[in-house]
Amino acid sequence: METALATLLSPIILFFLLGLGAALLRSQTTVPEAFAKGLAIYLMMAIGLKGGVEMAKNPLTIEVVAVLIAGIILSFAIPVLAFAILRATTRLNATDAAAAAAHYGSISIVTFVAATDALERLGVEASGHLVAVAALMEAPAIISALVIISRMDRQPKDRASAMADADRGELVREVLLNASVVVLLGALFIGWIAGEEGTAGIAPFFTGLFQGVLCLFLLDMGLSAGRGLRNGWRQLGFGTIAFGLYMPVVSACIAAIIAWALGMPAADAALLITLTASASYIAVPAAMRLALPKARPSVYLTLSLGITFPFNVIFGIPLYIGMANFVAG
Amino acid sequence: MAETYAMKRIELIVERMAARRAGRVLQESGVTGYTVLPALEGYGNGQTWRRDADISGSSDMVAIVCVTSAEAASAALDNLAQLLAEQIGIVTVNDVQVLRPERF
Repeated sequence: METALATLLSPIILFFLLGLGAALLRSQTTVPEAFAKGLAIYLMMAIGLKGGVEMAKNPLTIEVVAVLIAGIILSFAIPVLAFAILRATTRLNATDAAAAAAHYGSISIVTFVAATDALERLGVEASGHLVAVAALMEAPAIISALVIISRMDRQPKDRASAMADADRGELVREVLLNASVVVLLGALFIGWIAGEEGTAGIAPFFTGLFQGVLCLFLLDMGLSAGRGLRNGWRQLGFGTIAFGLYMPVVSACIAAIIAWALGMPAADAALLITLTASASYIAVPAAMRLALPKARPSVYLTLSLGITFPFNVIFGIPLYIGMANFVAG
Repeated sequence: MAETYAMKRIELIVERMAARRAGRVLQESGVTGYTVLPALEGYGNGQTWRRDADISGSSDMVAIVCVTSAEAASAALDNLAQLLAEQIGIVTVNDVQVLRPERF
């Protein structure tokens, strides 16, 4: 309960709620697009550098590799489960269901950052390699969704008509070299190579300003989530909206079992659970517009950004920290 | 008054994620150049959209403008029709006059 209250009353969540409320009340408040993109790059650099510096302090062990592999497997597997649930419980067609499922296998780096912040407020710090897990969990879900849709009858023909070789190259670049993956992994390696001493000179910029920038970004995320929800909720039936609320918890339970099996420390388990429970709203929507143009963005974006993201940030993170504490004993 | 020459001006408003694909279609159809402009906001298919409403930018729209010969325009329209069967967008063609026809 204390964890939940501390998370809810942190400035970053309050700024998120401010943005969410403003957008739902049809306020014209906006954060300039280029500025928001700059904030996102700053946050990814900061979290990547921090993770890299932490990784440099410890050797790369078999346990770390096991967590990296677990993250990749989760990202591949969750869309299969999400697709099956969506097809069984909603009226979404196969293309919409596969596109939405991909979002739930991939991750939201902002949810990850908010969870890291919540842990730090509780006085615990997770291992740096969880940042690498985050980066590695971005893309496999997209591949899973494309495999699912290619196995559905009649659908491959639609997709093939849209995908010439050059387009396929563009999709591969979007999936493997999107800004999240490049900046996050790049900053992680830089932090790893430079270590604490090497990054001391830039630390004031990346750690001193971090909380303030996160507040700004969460304000923008609140505005985006509120607008998405306001414009798109009519496109979703009750079953689909419910999916956006229970699917993160289902994913979190699976990740909690894996964290328990791997014997992960509570803080690391909390971040793996949060990553698995989070849904992408940046890398996957872009990839879906290229790979599955017939899938409706109003369905998958509203689900991931308008429903699951606010749920995770407001209620999910305290729940996932609680689950992690439980499985870590 | 300087002499002018008849050409076709194609204007395509398409989702940003399909813009590169549209550019390739235009090039392969014989169009020698095009310009991409950002679209700010709009209304269509029963709902409004805004450039800053989607943090992924995957719902952004752009306008692509080009001037070309009648033959290239005809080929481009055939190929763009295939693209727009899948992607969100509209295309219009106008008759225009240009000063330097060798540039197109």
